[in-house]
Amino acid sequence: MIAGHTAGDAFADPTSASRFADGDRSLGVPRHVACVMDGNGRWAAQRSLPRTSGHRAAETTVIDVIEAARAAGVEWLSLYAFSTENWSRPGAEVDYLMRLVRAVVRKHAPLLHVRGIRCRFLGVSDPRIPRGLARDFADLMTLTGDNRGMTLTVAFDHGGRGDIVAAARSLIRAGVAAESVDERSFAAHLPFPDTPDVDLVIRTSGEQRISNFMLWQVAYAEWVFPAVLWPDFRAPHFLECLHTYRQRDRRFGGVLPERNGDSRS
Amino acid sequence: MTIADGGTPDSAQDGATEFDGGTSRPGAADGPGPLFGAGSQFQEFVNDPRWALAMVRATVLEAAHPQVGAALIENSTFVAHPWRRLRNTLRSLQRMFGDDEQVRLREAARLNRLHARLNGTDPRGRPYSAMDPAVRAWVVATIFESTVTMCRLSGQPLEQHAMERLYTEFRAYLAAMGDEAGHLPPTLSEFWPYYDHVVAQELENTEAMRIILYKLFDHLPAPALLGGLPTLWATGRAVVGPLIGAITVASLPEPFRRRAGLPEMPGAQTLMQGAYLAVGLARFLPDGWVRADAIADLLALSPHSDDPRARAVTALHDKMRRAGALIRLITPLPPQPEPGFRTDAERSAEEFFREVLDQTGDGYLDWPDLAAMARELSTRLDLAEPEETRLYNAYADWWRELQTALDADGDGRVSAHEYAAAVPSLAGPALIKVAEVLFDATDKNGDQHIDADEYRTLFRTAFHRDTVGTDRTYTRGAFIGDFLAFMSGRRRSAAYDPLLAQA
Repeated sequence: MIAGHTAGDAFADPTSASRFADGDRSLGVPRHVACVMDGNGRWAAQRSLPRTSGHRAAETTVIDVIEAARAAGVEWLSLYAFSTENWSRPGAEVDYLMRLVRAVVRKHAPLLHVRGIRCRFLGVSDPRIPRGLARDFADLMTLTGDNRGMTLTVAFDHGGRGDIVAAARSLIRAGVAAESVDERSFAAHLPFPDTPDVDLVIRTSGEQRISNFMLWQVAYAEWVFPAVLWPDFRAPHFLECLHTYRQRDRRFGGVLPERNGDSRS
Repeated sequence: MTIADGGTPDSAQDGATEFDGGTSRPGAADGPGPLFGAGSQFQEFVNDPRWALAMVRATVLEAAHPQVGAALIENSTFVAHPWRRLRNTLRSLQRMFGDDEQVRLREAARLNRLHARLNGTDPRGRPYSAMDPAVRAWVVATIFESTVTMCRLSGQPLEQHAMERLYTEFRAYLAAMGDEAGHLPPTLSEFWPYYDHVVAQELENTEAMRIILYKLFDHLPAPALLGGLPTLWATGRAVVGPLIGAITVASLPEPFRRRAGLPEMPGAQTLMQGAYLAVGLARFLPDGWVRADAIADLLALSPHSDDPRARAVTALHDKMRRAGALIRLITPLPPQPEPGFRTDAERSAEEFFREVLDQTGDGYLDWPDLAAMARELSTRLDLAEPEETRLYNAYADWWRELQTALDADGDGRVSAHEYAAAVPSLAGPALIKVAEVLFDATDKNGDQHIDADEYRTLFRTAFHRDTVGTDRTYTRGAFIGDFLAFMSGRRRSAAYDPLLAQA
C-alpha cells in the first residue's frame, strides 16, 4: 500500500490492508480478536423475558461472529463465555447456562469442524462443571485439534488472574531461578502458550470494564465498546469494530508501529 | 490343554479370517502328509474365517463339560481379557502345529505346567483338574468335531480321507502333550460313538457355557486398537453379540440342545447355515489378506509403542479418537449423563480393581486372579522352570498378604468394596518380592540391568523413559519402583497397562 492512502482505501482492499507498509500507521485485520459477550440479561429484561432467553438468543450471535471473523481473515477469535465469578449467579441460571452451552457445542460441533476451525476451551477446571459438558469440550478439542483454520478459544470458567497464578505455580514447580524469569518465559507457562496477544477486544452493551478477562494477553489490546447488546450484535457490527480498529494508532508505548505479539524485550 | 489362558485352543472365539485352501483342496490329504507344519490338514483351517465360528462352538461344547466348565469359571480371564487370551491361544497353536519339533516339545511342557496348576472343586463339590486325560481328550474332540461340522454346515463337507487325516493330526496333538492317545478312540469310526456318548451322557448346562453363549459377546470389551470408539463398538456388539449366540446354539448337537434346555428359535437354523456359508465366501479373498494371528496382533497393538507398525497404528488410533469424539458429539444425549470421563493418569480404586486386579472378571479378587497375572507374565517371558515356580510362589505369598490385609468379611476373597474401603497399601514386602522375582526373570543374562531386548520381551515396546539414563538400560531399583508405583499407586503406565490391564 502506498503511503498517503486513506484508511478508507485500505478497507476496500483487504489483502493490502492486512499488511503493514513502511510508515503507514493504518492497521490491517487484527490477528487476534476477543469478545466479551455482555448484555444478554438486559436484552431479555427489555423484552420482559426471563434472563435465560437472553442467553438463548446469544447463540445466533456467537455463530454469526465466528463466521464473520473467519471470513474477514481473523486468525484467532476468543469468546468470554463464563467467568470464574459467574458461579455466583443464581443456581438455576448457572444450570441453564451449562445445559445451553452443552446443547450449542453439540449442535455446532460438526459445522465448526468442517469449517476447519480449531476449538479450544480456556479454563474449565471447576469441579462444578458437569461431566458431560467437560467431556464434550474435550471431544470438540480432540476432534478439531488438527484443524489449521481460525483458532476459536472459548473462555469458560476463566479468570485472568487465575491463569497468571497458575503460571506462577507452574514456574515454581519447574524450579526456574528468579533471575531467569522474563515476560517471554513467564508467558510460556500460561495455558495455551501459543496464543498470541489480543489485538482487539470488543465488549458489547457499552460496559467499559476488563472483568478479569485474559489479563496477560490484553496488555496492549485496543478496546471498542459498541452500545449494542450481545444478542443483537451481528456480522455488520463486527466488521464495524474491525474498521474502528484499523483507524486506531497503535504505538505500544513507542512511536513506531509494531505488530502486537512482536517481541518488546 | 484348553482351560486357561496360557495359549489354548478354547478361546479362539474370533479372528480367523483368511482361507488358504481348506476343503477346496481335499487333495492335500492324499499322501501320508506331515502331521504338523506346512501341508498338514490343520494348517489349512487355522486361517479359515469359518474357523472363528467353529471355535466358538467348540468352546461352548467344551465349557458344557462339567470339569472344563468349572475350570473356566474359576480360572479363566476370557471374560475380562478376551483379546489377550485369543492372542496367546493362537501363538500356542502355532507352536504346537508348527514345523519345529523343539518348539513343540517346549510348548507342550509349558502347557502341561500351566494345566497342572489348574485344579480345584466346582460349586457342587466335584473335583476338577485340567490334567485329567479324559478332559483333555474331550477338548481336542470338540475342536476336531467342530472343524468337521463347520465344513458340513457351509455345504462343503470334508471327504472321508481328509477327515481321517485331520483326526490323526489331532490325536498326534494330544500325544505331543504327553497324554496317552488311548483317551481319544484310535479310529474315526470309533470316534463318533464316543462323541455321541459324551454329548448324551456327560455334558451339562454349565455356568461357563451360559456365560459364553449369552454374556461374553454382549460384554466383549473393545480391543486396544478400537478403544477410542466405545460407542461404535458397543453398537456393533449389541447387534452382533446376540447373533453369535443364536448361531452357535443352532449349530450345537440336537440331543444336547434338548437336554440343556436351549431355545429353538424360528429361523435360527437358516441363519446359522447362512452365516457359515457367507463367512466361507471370504476364501475368495486373495491369499494373505487376512491372517488370524496378524489380526490378533494388530488388535492388541497399543498405540505409541515402537512396533514398526505403530506409527500407522498411532495415526489410525488418532483418527479413531477423532471419530469417537465426533460420534459422541453428534449422538443424541442420553437421559442420564454417562460416567467414565477422565483426563488424568490416576484411576479410581474401582477402575484399578476391575482393569488390573480382577483378571477373571467375576467381581472378586481371589487366587485365580493373581495366578492369571503370573500366568500372563510367564507366557510373555516364556519362562521355564524353576523361574516359573518362583514367580507363582511370589504371587502366592502376595495373595496371602492381600488376603490378610483386605478380606474384611473372612469369605476368603476380596470384593471390590472391601478393596475400595480399605484404601489399601498394596506395597507390602510380598509385592516387593514379586517385583524382584519379575526383575530376575526379565533379566535373562543376569547382569542386573534390563537391556532393550529384555525390556521388549516383557512389554513388547521399547524404553520410553527419560530416567533410564544414557546406556538405555533399566536398573533393578528403577524397575521395582515402577512396578510398585503401578500396582499400588494406581498410576496408569504406558508399559504395564498393555501388559495387565488391556482387554
